[in-house]
Amino acid sequence: MKELLDGNESAAYAVRLSKVKCIPCFPITPTTSMIELFAKWKTDGLLNAEFSQLESEHSVMSAAFGSALTGARTFTATSSQGLLLMHEILYNVSGCRLPIVMANVSRGVSAPLTLWCDHGDILAVRDSGWIIFMSETNQEVMDSVIMSYKIAESTLLPVIVNMDGFIQSYTRTEVEVPSQKLVDGFLPSINLRFKINMDKPVTYAAPAMEDYMFYKSQLHKAHLDSFKAIKRVQAEWSRLTKRKYDLAESYRLRDAESAIVMMGANSTVCKAAVDALRKKNKKGGLLRIRLYRPFPEKEISNALKNVKNIAVLDQNISPGCGGILYNDIRSLLKKSRVSDYVFGLGGKSISQKEIIEVFNDMSKSSKEEKKWLM
Amino acid sequence: MADVKEIKNINDVPREELITGGTFACSGCNAILGKKLAIKALGKNTIIVNATGCMTLTASNRFTPYKVPWVFNAIENAASTASGILMGLKAQGKDKDANVMCYAGDGSSYEIGLQSLSGMVQRRENIIYICYNNSSFANTGFQHSSATPYGARTTTTPVGKNNPVGNLLPRRHLAKVMAASGAAYVATASTSYPFDYIRKLQKAAKVEGAKFIDLLTPCMPGWLIKDDEGIKVGKMMVETGIWPLYEIENGIFKLSKEPEMKPVEEALKLQGRFNHLSKREIEKIQGIINKEWELIKAGRYWEANEY
Repeated sequence: MKELLDGNESAAYAVRLSKVKCIPCFPITPTTSMIELFAKWKTDGLLNAEFSQLESEHSVMSAAFGSALTGARTFTATSSQGLLLMHEILYNVSGCRLPIVMANVSRGVSAPLTLWCDHGDILAVRDSGWIIFMSETNQEVMDSVIMSYKIAESTLLPVIVNMDGFIQSYTRTEVEVPSQKLVDGFLPSINLRFKINMDKPVTYAAPAMEDYMFYKSQLHKAHLDSFKAIKRVQAEWSRLTKRKYDLAESYRLRDAESAIVMMGANSTVCKAAVDALRKKNKKGGLLRIRLYRPFPEKEISNALKNVKNIAVLDQNISPGCGGILYNDIRSLLKKSRVSDYVFGLGGKSISQKEIIEVFNDMSKSSKEEKKWLM
Repeated sequence: MADVKEIKNINDVPREELITGGTFACSGCNAILGKKLAIKALGKNTIIVNATGCMTLTASNRFTPYKVPWVFNAIENAASTASGILMGLKAQGKDKDANVMCYAGDGSSYEIGLQSLSGMVQRRENIIYICYNNSSFANTGFQHSSATPYGARTTTTPVGKNNPVGNLLPRRHLAKVMAASGAAYVATASTSYPFDYIRKLQKAAKVEGAKFIDLLTPCMPGWLIKDDEGIKVGKMMVETGIWPLYEIENGIFKLSKEPEMKPVEEALKLQGRFNHLSKREIEKIQGIINKEWELIKAGRYWEANEY
């Protein structure tokens, strides 16, 4: 069934369809309407889950840790400052291999305070051991949340589905809502082997001794192994819905001479810029990174191997270092020339024209550019 | 909350140890004793949620003394982790099968975890929260917390040329804060009075809502007391009136024990952390305690504050 849904609503519908049992929450712009919807549905008897508003995001993630440990399917959502307040507990969740799914609605981080989107929040938690999907559309949010439960519960890794604040979270677009029957057939009920069981008492998250490194190596290995599960789940979803998702999406890249690499909803603007260039017979293309952690090195290298000019558009900044995605791509493609463009911090909009200029810029220059689009 | 077998006298106390020996706890540790007593009182259907502190290091990934489920998350979130566990159990219709119990130190409960504790209590979560109060951040080496009494020497309130007293701040009355936050049942307890403590735990298990027990647990290396004097020191802290034993149920304050009101010096002299105090300072502490008891006796407990 097709509905007009914003990103927050898309995530909420996906949560309901996934039959999530526990939703600890805390309001934060631009996520709030999602948790309001859970509260409304719960009150109207449309949501069969425990819903609780706690006193901080730190407590929300702690409660999610607790409820997931009992074997209940758990969801929460946050943004920006909230994600940073959860940061400490994100490591505990991945360290305990709890399959929580969370939506993060990207918003720049203070100070100065901003309500608008950039990826400073989500990239700050990139090393926390969570799988991170960077979505472009509301349809992708809907599909990714449902798929994430299957991925999380089969790999025992927590998943963040990221969307862009306002651009997605408060903008309605047409979204195909799958039927409950379809989701039920796709997503089996959760059955964790290690959960709180009064008959088989277990000590959870005890301090490690010298073998701390062993556990971290296992977490890393689980991430590397999860590529297979992610591909399998995405293929299955595509068979059911005809909607195809890759780890990194190639857009008109096959014969491209110049390519932009980026993440998030502004990729749509880039796609339009690529189309405009193609009309003038200029061979531009886009590689949109959908799966950010684990980092799909193979897919990215393959997609970009024949591209002459590469520019990374980063909606984030690591002060004193540069764009974060740029540095990932730079270290991956040792022989290519890669330029770094920082854009859109605190929601500063980017136009098709500006992206076309980046394409022109990188084909003219023979050195690696490092520029701010501001 | 699961059903709890009533303990009426010493013969009813289960012999079975659900927390075994061989932990890293210090010789004579009263905090682990308080935990063992809690499990005896609440039974095997209890989930322990620990905050970072001395009691975290009682288990490791190689060995565990716990024969009940034990969960550790971080220092400031035992209460919210417990809220989540209860939420998960409720969602699966299992919340009547288990008691969810937090066991966190005063560094966690009085300080960094106060927000999550206060949130849990305000939400009226059906959880028993025990603060094992060794009056310091003991696990990191006895730094000051807001449970540290006036005049105590800690590693962050040392005694020296510019400060002959040590800790100059009055302690927080967390039990009052919890009662005001909406706890269904609040009590103070001491490991030196195990039956009073067990009775309070069993009462807490029967009350619907959030329950908070502040348990004084003398700490050998922190309070600078002898390994075998923890119980004696705890007793003296109660008998001198420094640590009043009471309950607050539905906002009504009730003393659990009338202390003999021995001079505070009797308790202070057993603890090395007070051995720097001058006669004048000891008199000042006596004054604080006397004033507090005047108010308690006059039914004005809520006004008592250590100034």
